[in-house]
Amino acid sequence: MSQDDAKIFLIPNELCRRAGLGATWKPLNQFAVFPHERRTVRQKDIPSNFASTAQSSVFLVQHSIILYHPILRKLVNESSGTFLTVQSTVSSKSSEFKGEILKLSRQYRSIIRACLENLQDEIGKNNITNSERDELRDYITIFYSIECIWHLCEILFIDVIPGNIVLPYLLDWVRFHFPKHERNAALLISGDVTSLELHEDYWPTVFGNFLQGRIKIVRTLLRQNSAFGSSVFQLVDEVLKTMPTYNVINSISINEFNLQWKHWTTDIQLKIDAKQFITNHNLNLLMRLIVGEEEAWAEIQSHCETWYEFLAGWLFYTEPSVKSFELGQFAKLSIRKMRIKDHMKHLDRVLLAAMEFDLFEVIKEIQHMTENGWFVCHLADILHHSGSLSVLEKEVENFTSENLRESFLLDYGTILMGHSSLWEVGLNYLDYCQNIGLQAVELLLPRIPFSTETKAHKLIREARNRELHSVAQSICKIQGTRSLKRGRVGNALTWALKSQDGPFTSYLADLVLKKYIENGELNSTDLLDNLGSCMLASDRLIFLGKYNEFHKLYQAGEYKECGHLLISLLASKIVPKYFWSVLLSEAIPLLESEELVFSANDTYTIQHCLEEKEAIPQLADKISILRLAAARNLSRALMFEAQLAQ
Amino acid sequence: MSEFEIQEIEVNHRNLIQKVAFDQCGSRMATCSNDRFVKVWDKNSDGDWTLTSSWKAHSASVWKVTWAHPEFGHVLATCSFDRTAAVWEEIVGDMPGPRQRGTRHWVGRTHLVDSRTSVTDVKFGPKAQGLLLATCSAEGIIRIYEAPDVMNLSQWTLQHEVQCKLPLSCLTWNPSLSRLHPAMIAVGSDDTNMNIGGKVFVYEYSENSRKWIKLETISNITEPVHDIEFAPNLGRSLHILAVASNKDVKILTLSPVEDDQVAQSGLTKLDIQTVGQFDDHGGTVWRVCWNVTGTLLTSTGDDGCVRMFKMHGINLWKPVAALKGDGTHVPTAAEAARSSQAAQTARYIKLGSIQPNRELRH
Repeated sequence: MSQDDAKIFLIPNELCRRAGLGATWKPLNQFAVFPHERRTVRQKDIPSNFASTAQSSVFLVQHSIILYHPILRKLVNESSGTFLTVQSTVSSKSSEFKGEILKLSRQYRSIIRACLENLQDEIGKNNITNSERDELRDYITIFYSIECIWHLCEILFIDVIPGNIVLPYLLDWVRFHFPKHERNAALLISGDVTSLELHEDYWPTVFGNFLQGRIKIVRTLLRQNSAFGSSVFQLVDEVLKTMPTYNVINSISINEFNLQWKHWTTDIQLKIDAKQFITNHNLNLLMRLIVGEEEAWAEIQSHCETWYEFLAGWLFYTEPSVKSFELGQFAKLSIRKMRIKDHMKHLDRVLLAAMEFDLFEVIKEIQHMTENGWFVCHLADILHHSGSLSVLEKEVENFTSENLRESFLLDYGTILMGHSSLWEVGLNYLDYCQNIGLQAVELLLPRIPFSTETKAHKLIREARNRELHSVAQSICKIQGTRSLKRGRVGNALTWALKSQDGPFTSYLADLVLKKYIENGELNSTDLLDNLGSCMLASDRLIFLGKYNEFHKLYQAGEYKECGHLLISLLASKIVPKYFWSVLLSEAIPLLESEELVFSANDTYTIQHCLEEKEAIPQLADKISILRLAAARNLSRALMFEAQLAQ
Repeated sequence: MSEFEIQEIEVNHRNLIQKVAFDQCGSRMATCSNDRFVKVWDKNSDGDWTLTSSWKAHSASVWKVTWAHPEFGHVLATCSFDRTAAVWEEIVGDMPGPRQRGTRHWVGRTHLVDSRTSVTDVKFGPKAQGLLLATCSAEGIIRIYEAPDVMNLSQWTLQHEVQCKLPLSCLTWNPSLSRLHPAMIAVGSDDTNMNIGGKVFVYEYSENSRKWIKLETISNITEPVHDIEFAPNLGRSLHILAVASNKDVKILTLSPVEDDQVAQSGLTKLDIQTVGQFDDHGGTVWRVCWNVTGTLLTSTGDDGCVRMFKMHGINLWKPVAALKGDGTHVPTAAEAARSSQAAQTARYIKLGSIQPNRELRH
């Protein structure tokens, strides 16, 4: 394995250097590094040589995540919308699919451009520090490159180019990324018209536009020249006017166009040979460029900022019908001509790889951009859906386009899940990982901190939406345990019911009942009043619910109903041991009530319970009263029932 | 790989830290040290960490500290050179008043004193099986304890004792969430005798015999093993295990095999493959640790570096970054202040980096 891949980062701590390090991951995306020394049980348990009064620290390490910057968060949110549209377009399988994907690719790019504009605006503000300004500049560099690469990839891998004639697209791309020539031309033309040619930007602007194939602008600029009346200017203007153009709309075939082009350049060559332009060096140079003269192109190189700006111009005049698959070889030629092979920058390498149709290299390189995987995730996704990535499955063994896309989605989604307000956006991405997305959510969702009930409810909803019921139940249980630790039993009971945890519910119901024994107050009655079928979660809760009902009936003076309920509770098998004495004591006022509550049979039930439970110590001082009350009630009931029978 | 930034938490242990453990959400941190203390730190809403508890947990070096699943409340387990393991629970005092947080403190729920030698590792089991705690010790015994009533953590019963014969240094539960996988534990031994065979053992709980059964001895790891950890299982049928040994970091896959013999015995049969092997530490590897999704592994070792490995497919792992201590690059307070991002409340500083070269290797 290559050691060179791994950059070494420095923890600014001397003890960490001397002793060594330990490391532990921290949910979600951080890890802790600390001074540590490997000890074994065979060593004596004495303080380490490194133990000292020196400050020991734990260092929490994380990737610098620029996407959390407020401006870039806007990009994250907007692009997630487009991402979702891409996924729904894919599943709709519309016939316009290719076109739709192209539109969405452009949508992504316009989101990047909007982001670049926002960054520019922010830089212009007065209230930011220099370091913030530098940071913003870095972001601009990164996202400018991203837009540039994306645009080229869109042309080469997503767009459908008629006849594979790529040049018009390439020119668009270069014009878009080097807008200064057009802008300068506009400034020059709109400014003071006299002696325009004396302006230092005049000829560079002419050549700049010329290389971008903006012939109209070139002619306009030449027309503004005070020497335009001269024969050489007139001749050049005439030549440029007759330049053949190829586009799909004017319906000439590519062969026809090539023929026209050849005639046109041959004619120019003749004129050059006849030294017709010799009086004006710049105009002569323009003409020599058109016919592709090597020295002329060597001379113009210095006008080009980059090799691809040069490439577009060079191809426009020398290979106007170049096919996209030929781009790679011309790109390499341009790089050689520009002599930058040994100092290519990251952007240069990616663009070259794209022109060589080496998608693997493109994807490999763009992973190293420091925007936390935003680019590679979205580009790989759209390339996957456009079919460009899956083409490679045939060429490379064990490669699946889906798995590659999924690994980027997973990384990106996980980063977003680590942010307190972007985690829901992160879920969108994990949802579209067919193979392991759901499992990732199952691992990540329970690790999102929640300190409020609202957040807990949100997490539960997301878990339920994905049918991750165990995750939802676990969150409820945690929330229940927390409420319990804070002494909020009623709240804990609510969460326990949601978690459908029987034993926990029973435990809490016990707490409520025991508290009642202690202070004679039944808590959480609001919850108990509305239990409904939730009651069935545990026997103890059923008892608590019924007992609460008994209380309510008693308070409402519904003694008859109350008595029925008490009897059915006594006869049931769900009375907790510790509650018998309370429950039986509750019978006393009912036995003694003016109105007859219990029938003879009911009274037998009570007496039966008394016999069975007489050993319960808490009943000791009440048992005789209870027996007496029961006997008196029995006599009343028997008499009443006898009368009724007559 | 992008850049890194760090936040420093001054922990003030009087000796080196043996282990740092985070709770499920990463908002609480426990540290333990050779100074016999355990400390608990909480992250506040500004992202700063404050010490909320510190107590002398054992009468000798504390090797490991670990959190129970939050469903069981705030519960820690520790193990020590003093031959015991302990379970601790945080209690909120009786100060219920509205909007008033009760005082918190940790109470020792139990001290598990079954071991006659140093208890080298302690880990809570996956919560689906209830509240289980596994320990391993220098005398070569794995012990599985259970709290039969999860509301009463002072009661633990010793369910199983598994004899491994070799001194054990580390233990890991298979964290698989799938109900199809029986409970599984892997342990490592740091016995220095290379001639006695494999140093990593895999055990499985058999529901039929109600016993822990040894499934495998991983025979190609004969060097002393210092740490071991199962990767979080992303719904895969196979399990991934990282092993830190005297020689290297190894990443193994353990794939259950289906055949007639398996169907008959009801025991899992494993096909074990080494899919990653890294000697980047140039010597003994001390610790290994997985990230939440099991896509990144960190290891530390003799070279004083933290090394990070990333998964590019189950069988393909690549080193992606390394970190090491360097006291000459301590930024001044002013520098630290300058590099902190406006968007973040907590103080993070960007890490400097160097291009690696061969000389750094031993």
